[in-house]
Amino acid sequence: MSIDGDQQLLRQISRGDESAFVAFYRRHQGPVYRFALQMSGQVEIAEEVTQDVFMVVMKSGSKYDSARGSVAAYLYGIARNFVLRKLDQERPYLTTLDDPESEYADVAADGPDTLAELTRNERMESLRKAVLALPPTYREVVVLCDLHELDYAEAANALDCAIGTVRSRLHRARALLSEKMRADERCAV
Amino acid sequence: MNETDQKLLQGLRELAAEGPRDAPAELEARLVGEFRKRAQARRRNVLLGVGTAAIAAALALTVIRPALLQHAPAAQVSPQADDAALDFYPLPDSEELPPLESATIVRVQLPMASLRLMGLPVSEEGAADLVEADMLLGQDGMARGVRFVE
Repeated sequence: MSIDGDQQLLRQISRGDESAFVAFYRRHQGPVYRFALQMSGQVEIAEEVTQDVFMVVMKSGSKYDSARGSVAAYLYGIARNFVLRKLDQERPYLTTLDDPESEYADVAADGPDTLAELTRNERMESLRKAVLALPPTYREVVVLCDLHELDYAEAANALDCAIGTVRSRLHRARALLSEKMRADERCAV
Repeated sequence: MNETDQKLLQGLRELAAEGPRDAPAELEARLVGEFRKRAQARRRNVLLGVGTAAIAAALALTVIRPALLQHAPAAQVSPQADDAALDFYPLPDSEELPPLESATIVRVQLPMASLRLMGLPVSEEGAADLVEADMLLGQDGMARGVRFVE
């Protein structure tokens, strides 16, 4: 949907139009939820953050200003603030990565039991852990630019920083991940 | 870009495609429930505001300027309350109030935005403008309906 369409929905939401809220929620909940999950590694945090983000939309979505960026960037920006706040409250969050009850663990366990698939799952799990182990300022650019495919300008809007900052943080984050992958490969050999 | 970088980007693309795509369905139900609660509270507050404005206007006419009231057609009690109500657009939730026995009509100024409550389209630009309206108050002082003055 265009920015105009989203803005129209936000105006209708501010007037109490429930169908507009449902339409807006269904359009945007997926990326918000995935962003929170990929940033935190915890389903509970992802759910809470998604709820908090759409409560903000309910209360003050009409304050969104299209001149300051896309609706997606606006929502990512709100989600990012909530995620960082929750991660601060719930340290150390990395202990949850090995939780066999996690949604990611279910996905991995359900895969076909072939050697290739197991190897791939291990590689994915290792990469997921590496992303989650990045400092938040690097993690958020990887999640937004590499996992959600936002361009630098949109990511800069969401993170409220300069495009150059996004570029340099992404460069550094990828270097850290590559380093980790090389170390993992050396250990595997 | 070296081989490790390429592998990393490939891995990130695969990672992006994995995992749940949507929030749990019960979250939508929870949020819609919250939205309904807020919308109801908002309607109640607007009605309370409209009712308060109408009562304040009635008080101004009857207490502060009794002399004017004698000549003012703005506030009057109708013996045929049901007939009077026919001209008025019912306010949301007014059907839950007791039946109309006697009515008072008070002329007030309302923000254009309040027309939205009646489902009428109001542009954002004109939302803050004022419009003259007659409020129909019941025997209990609660607003039952509204009639916009041309």
